[in-house]
Amino acid sequence: MVERVDVAVIGAGPAGLAAAVAAREQGAERVVIIERAERLGGLLPQCIHNGFGLLYFGEDLTGPEYERMFIRKAERAKVEARLESMALDISPDLEITAVGSRHGYTKIKTGAVVLAMGCREKARGALGIPGGRPAGILTAGTCQRYVNVDGFIPGRRFVILGSGDIGMIMARRLTLEGAKVEAVVEIMPWPGGLIRNEVQCLHDFGIPLLLEHTVTFIHGETRIQGVTVTRVDRERRPIPGTERFIPCDCLLLSAGLIPENELSVKAGVELDPVTGGPLVDENRQTVIPGIFAGGNVVQVHDLVDWVSWEAEVAGRNAARFADRGGIPFREEVRVRAGENIKYVVPQFISGEEEVTLHLRVTRPGLRAALLLGGKLFKRYRSVRPSEMIIEKVDVGRLSQAIGDGELRVDCRLGEEA
Amino acid sequence: MPFTETEVLIVGAGILGAATARELSRYKVDVTLVEKNVDVGWGITKANVGVVNQGKDTLEFRPEYHRSHLLWRSLSMMEPLCRELDVPFRKVGGWEMCWDMKAKEKLDKLARRTESLGLGKDRFYWYPELKEMEPHVSDKILGGLHDPDIAVVNPVWLTQALVENAVHNGVHLKLGTEVLDIKPGHHWFEVRTTEGDFKARYVINAAGEWVDKVAAKVGADDFVLFPVKGYVGVLDRRLEGLVNGLVSVLPERPGEMNVIVPTVEGNLLFGIQLQINRRGDHSTTAHMARAALENARKLVPEISEKDVINEFCGFLMLRNFEIGWHECEVGMSRRVPRFVNMTIGYPGVSASPGAAAEVVEVLQKDGLELEPNPKFDPHRRGIPDFSRLSDRERRELIKKDPRYGHVICRCETVTEGEIVEAIRRGATTLDGVKHRVRAGMGRCQGGFCGPRVTRILARELGISETEVTKKGGDSAHLCCRVKELLEEERESG
Repeated sequence: MVERVDVAVIGAGPAGLAAAVAAREQGAERVVIIERAERLGGLLPQCIHNGFGLLYFGEDLTGPEYERMFIRKAERAKVEARLESMALDISPDLEITAVGSRHGYTKIKTGAVVLAMGCREKARGALGIPGGRPAGILTAGTCQRYVNVDGFIPGRRFVILGSGDIGMIMARRLTLEGAKVEAVVEIMPWPGGLIRNEVQCLHDFGIPLLLEHTVTFIHGETRIQGVTVTRVDRERRPIPGTERFIPCDCLLLSAGLIPENELSVKAGVELDPVTGGPLVDENRQTVIPGIFAGGNVVQVHDLVDWVSWEAEVAGRNAARFADRGGIPFREEVRVRAGENIKYVVPQFISGEEEVTLHLRVTRPGLRAALLLGGKLFKRYRSVRPSEMIIEKVDVGRLSQAIGDGELRVDCRLGEEA
Repeated sequence: MPFTETEVLIVGAGILGAATARELSRYKVDVTLVEKNVDVGWGITKANVGVVNQGKDTLEFRPEYHRSHLLWRSLSMMEPLCRELDVPFRKVGGWEMCWDMKAKEKLDKLARRTESLGLGKDRFYWYPELKEMEPHVSDKILGGLHDPDIAVVNPVWLTQALVENAVHNGVHLKLGTEVLDIKPGHHWFEVRTTEGDFKARYVINAAGEWVDKVAAKVGADDFVLFPVKGYVGVLDRRLEGLVNGLVSVLPERPGEMNVIVPTVEGNLLFGIQLQINRRGDHSTTAHMARAALENARKLVPEISEKDVINEFCGFLMLRNFEIGWHECEVGMSRRVPRFVNMTIGYPGVSASPGAAAEVVEVLQKDGLELEPNPKFDPHRRGIPDFSRLSDRERRELIKKDPRYGHVICRCETVTEGEIVEAIRRGATTLDGVKHRVRAGMGRCQGGFCGPRVTRILARELGISETEVTKKGGDSAHLCCRVKELLEEERESG
């Protein structure tokens, strides 16, 4: 038997919850969240630090508090949740195959889908760190779950590779738990996470941040004994002679997040090789009609508030799609990442409506200028790759900036700006 | 401490030890299989590309070599064995390719040799034709020799199946048992291990990476082995189908092979960078990783650094460093009666069924009485692989046991039912689960399922989560409960 729903949302983290609520508010009758875990909230329960909700709720909340607010919204909106259920496939005619211990093996036919699977951390294999293969190497997020949800500490003496936000937050968390964090090692000349985390999690606790360094060898066969840390040159190649051994019994990895799009690819959704997320238009529709996406599955955000915001766009439009039996993919204007721009989302726009651009620069710098279509849009005191730039552009500015079906975005630094 | 008596003691539960134990379990003979690791197949067997070749892939293949005979003998054995034990066996075919005419001459010579040895006719395909079968290989390839008989297995799965079946048929398995000393006697060997002492009439030394060291304990080490470390990279399952068969190219430099191998699980493996190395050191190096990836990309340009999800190093124990030009050591020791050495080097997996059968004959010839075991059951059922089942099969499985509906490892779609079954069959560690049902084997490398598998292991084994290890010994996965470090600090003032 095939079940019918209006909007199906894959994932019940901050993105999935927001998308489902927005879809209901837009008028979709039956909205179902398909979630693999045994509860709603995604990774929010393990994020016990604060800094959530400043934009969305105007309050400084912890992850679990932010989660509560959204779960309550979802309950009030009568969103259905299908827990312990994993979506295995989405067919082109929007039939979802899901499996779960409670619901068994089911097929759901839906009017529209919102992909809200979030992202995962880069593992050791993807980082290609040479050395032995001992126990005691895990990602910062896995460590965060062990400590904050399961109640275990994986080691006594830590080195953290990568200065992503979760890594820095865990440096502080582990220090508070009585463990020693020897160093946070970052290959780039600048930290990978937010400035506030660098200050509050590392500087305030006297944890050394070694910029332009990387781990070049892992020592140990059964349990990790330590790591070799080496300085790198401008091309990020290790400089011979600068190696030093740091003993540790745990190596945490916080060196990047990858949007989780295996399901999207199986469904035929085209990905942006830079963001790792689907190519989307301003409605967050992907190239497959009726499949929408929002949150970290599209692009890795700095703040959860923007995850929710983006997923709401996707949820709202998914409901419109289901209601009208389709809305077009707006590909009139291609958004191009120009000078010193790593990426811009959405990749396609209509040019006919106000749009919010999410973008990251490639290099950091002081005195920066953002140019749209070669024309100055805004100046900044400083820009960093780790701090996403988000700008609302109205129709007037857009029409001036669009040429030849293209919106080019550049960021000039220093004197040129 | 009293001795445990056994007729035949096998040292090492790698593929050779396991195959021999299973072969002996056909008879009414008391067999004990000891393994120093906490699980089977974790030495050379694990760090292996899993190719079952038919013994004609090397130019230096010599009909007078003992190794060649073991291979020939194994040719017809592997597929039925895998069928009996419900282990995936895939005949994928394989290529030996070349870049230029000079290398092509070598391939022609190889083809002639193959034919003259009665091993079939391998056809040479020029690039335009080859491209039809392997569309992703580089267009700079001149052509290649195709061997349709090359197959792949997962050597660890095969070893687990052999051991499960052997134990089912009466073999005693002792894990975490390292041989410390062996004293030869007139009728018995006295074998001292970390887990007690054994008295055995026969000792079969299948200690893999340490085979010559174990042989040296009784002075049966009249053969020299070079431990050659090989680097292998693992590619994301997303690339399944990028090559259809085993793709390799004649080496341009010594000390490296350039092969890309599809596995039965769907991932591709690439490598193999080789170097003589101190044994026991399984560390990967940046140099090996770079060189292997460069080679792989030369052969199949679509492969990118981003697709590498894991890497490992394993050992080949070679009589000679030059690959292929190499003889095995399988049979009764020339020096010590009733002591059998088993080491093949390359290709060990392919030759294992034949080697096991031969060793049983060697024992029989030496006077071991082998009466058929009337209770011998050759069959064993594998653990259901949820990710590869049909809709109908999935439904039925979940109806029988809802835990098969609970996906624990999302990268590889592994369910709780499979993990529990893996533990029931002997997995006691995270790696044990991973190497049985692939939980943690995928692109996130256990980042998501690690905590969940840890919890299931603790629950099923009745231990604390802090006692769960990655691979036994001091590889505990977690250190302590939260707040315990703070308490320690307080207590120590």
